[in-house]
Amino acid sequence: MNDNNEDLSTQDFKQRYLWGIYLRYAAVGLGLLLYGYSFLLGEKAGATLLLVVAITLYNLLAHYIYRSKQKYRMGEIVVLIGFFQVLDILAAAVLVGMTGGLESPYWFLYPVLMIISGFGTFSRYSYLVLFIVAFTVIFYLGLLGIAFKQLIPVFGSSLVITPQVLLKTIFNRAIFTIVVLLLFAATVYYFSKLINQNRELLSKKNRELLRTLEELKDIGRMKDDFITNVSHELRTPLAIVRENLSLIEDRVVGEINEKQRYLLAGARGNLDNLGEILNSILDSSKITSGALEIRRRKTDINLLVAKAVDLLKDKAQRKAIEIETILPEKSSVYVDPDQLTRVFVNLIDNAIKYTQKSGRITISLELSENEIRGSICDNGIGIDEQEIPLLFERFVRAKKAEEMGVKGVGLGLSICKGIIELHRGKIWVESKPNQGTKFIFVLPRVEVDG
Amino acid sequence: MDNKKPKILIIEDENNIAEALRLRLEANGYDVITSSDGVEGLHKAHTERPDLIILDIRLPKMDGYKVCRMIKFDEEYSSTTVIILTARIQPSDIAMGKEVGADEYMTKPYRSEELLAKIKQYLAAEN
Repeated sequence: MNDNNEDLSTQDFKQRYLWGIYLRYAAVGLGLLLYGYSFLLGEKAGATLLLVVAITLYNLLAHYIYRSKQKYRMGEIVVLIGFFQVLDILAAAVLVGMTGGLESPYWFLYPVLMIISGFGTFSRYSYLVLFIVAFTVIFYLGLLGIAFKQLIPVFGSSLVITPQVLLKTIFNRAIFTIVVLLLFAATVYYFSKLINQNRELLSKKNRELLRTLEELKDIGRMKDDFITNVSHELRTPLAIVRENLSLIEDRVVGEINEKQRYLLAGARGNLDNLGEILNSILDSSKITSGALEIRRRKTDINLLVAKAVDLLKDKAQRKAIEIETILPEKSSVYVDPDQLTRVFVNLIDNAIKYTQKSGRITISLELSENEIRGSICDNGIGIDEQEIPLLFERFVRAKKAEEMGVKGVGLGLSICKGIIELHRGKIWVESKPNQGTKFIFVLPRVEVDG
Repeated sequence: MDNKKPKILIIEDENNIAEALRLRLEANGYDVITSSDGVEGLHKAHTERPDLIILDIRLPKMDGYKVCRMIKFDEEYSSTTVIILTARIQPSDIAMGKEVGADEYMTKPYRSEELLAKIKQYLAAEN
C-alpha cells in the first residue's frame, strides 16, 4: 500500500529529473549557437566548446542512467538529481571563470540555476537553494581574491589603474553581484516554500485518499471472502438436512406412513425454498459488491427462454396459466447464458406468482441489428403506480404481494436489474393495477466472447 | 459385468453426507466405498478400481482438485468417471473443476434424483 504512495512522488521526481536533462540539452544547444557565433567573429572559444562537450557528456550519462532502470527509489532519484545539479553549478563556475571571472556576463546562470532548483527539481528540498547561494558567494569571494592578486585581468576597468581603483572596482562588482544573488535567492526560496507547502498538502491528501481507497478495496475483498465462506458453511448443512429428510421420505431406510411422508415432503419443500433464498441473497451481495462477472458466449437465446419456461412449467400448470412465447427466427447472440436464464426465470416466476388462475403470460423476444429486446407480459394483478420507482431496489416487495401472502424476500428484480446492467442494458416496467404487468429489457448486441 | 454391481467411491470428509449418499446409492443397487480424506481417497481409487467417484473439494490432506487431477491425468485410471460434489458455487471453482478433468460438477445442496440420473448416465456410457 505504501509502495503506491512512494511511487507517486518518485514518479514525480523522476519526471523532474528528466526535465532537468532536457533543460541541459537546451543549454548545450544554446552554447553551441554562441560558440558558432564567436567562431564566425573569429574569436577563440575552444575552451567554451570543451565545456559544452563536457556538459553534453555528463548529460548523456544522466539520460543513460534514467533509461537503464525501470524503477527507482525516492532516495536514489534525489541523489541523482543532486549530483547532476552540482555538476551544473561547477560547469557554470567554470564558464564564469573562463569568461572573465567577476566581469563575466554569465553570472546570470546562478539565478537561473536557483530558479530551476527552487521551483523544479528540488521542490520540497527548497533549502538546497541556499547551498547554491553559499557556493556562489564562496566562489565569488575566491574570484575576488584572484582578481585582487591580479592573476586574471579585469575587463572594463579604466586604462590607468591604481591599486586603490582596482580594489574599489573589484569590490563594487563583487558586492553588487553577491547582494543581487542573495536577494534573488531569498525571493526564490520564499516562493518555492509557498508553492511547495501547497504541494505537500495536496500530496498528503492524495496519500490519504489512496489509503482510503485501498482500505475500501480490502473491505470489498473481505466481503467476497465472507460471502464465499458463508455460502459454503450454509450449503453443507442444508445438503445434509435435505438429503437425510429425503432418504426417509423416499423410504430408503424403512417404511413410513402417509402422514409422516406428507410432513417430510413439506419440510423438504421448505428447505428447497431456503436454498433458493440463500442463492438470491448471495447473488444479490455479489452484484452489489461487484463480484459478479458476466461471461459472454455465443448463445441461442431462444433456448434460454425455453429452458426457463420448462423449469416453471409445472408451477404454471398448477394455476392453469398459459405461457405463450413469441421468438425470433435467428436467435444467436453473445450473452452470459446462465445469468440471462436467471433473468427469464425470475421474471416468469414473478409473472406466475402475481397472475390469477387461468391467466396468461406472453414472453416475446425481438432481435434487431444492435439490440435485443425482451418482454414478459402478464394479465395479473398489476403494480400500483407509486410502487414502481422502488420496485428494482433490494428487499422491496409490492404491498399486494404481502397481502396475497406471496413468498419472497424481494431480491429477484434487483438481481435481474444487476444482470441486465452488467450486460450494459436497461430494464423497466409498465403496469396497470388489475390489468397486468409488462417487464421490458433491452440489451445492446455485442459480438464478443468473454 | 452385468451381474456385478457397479462400484462407487465417495470421497467426502463430512460424515453425514457420506452416509446419506451411501444409503441412497446402496438402495439403488450400487456397491459403495467411502473415504474421508484426499490421500486415502486417491489410494482407494487406485486399489479398489471404482467405476465412478463422487468427490468433494474441501478435503483434509489433499484437496479434491488435486485428487481429480491425479486420477484424470493418469492414463491407467483416467477412464474412471469423476463427479465433483461441492458446496463451492463460484464460477472460478467450476472452471477449475473442468480444468482438472472432472466429468461433472454438482453443487450442494444437491437433488438426489439429479445425482442418480447422472450416475446412471455415466455408468451406461462406460459399459
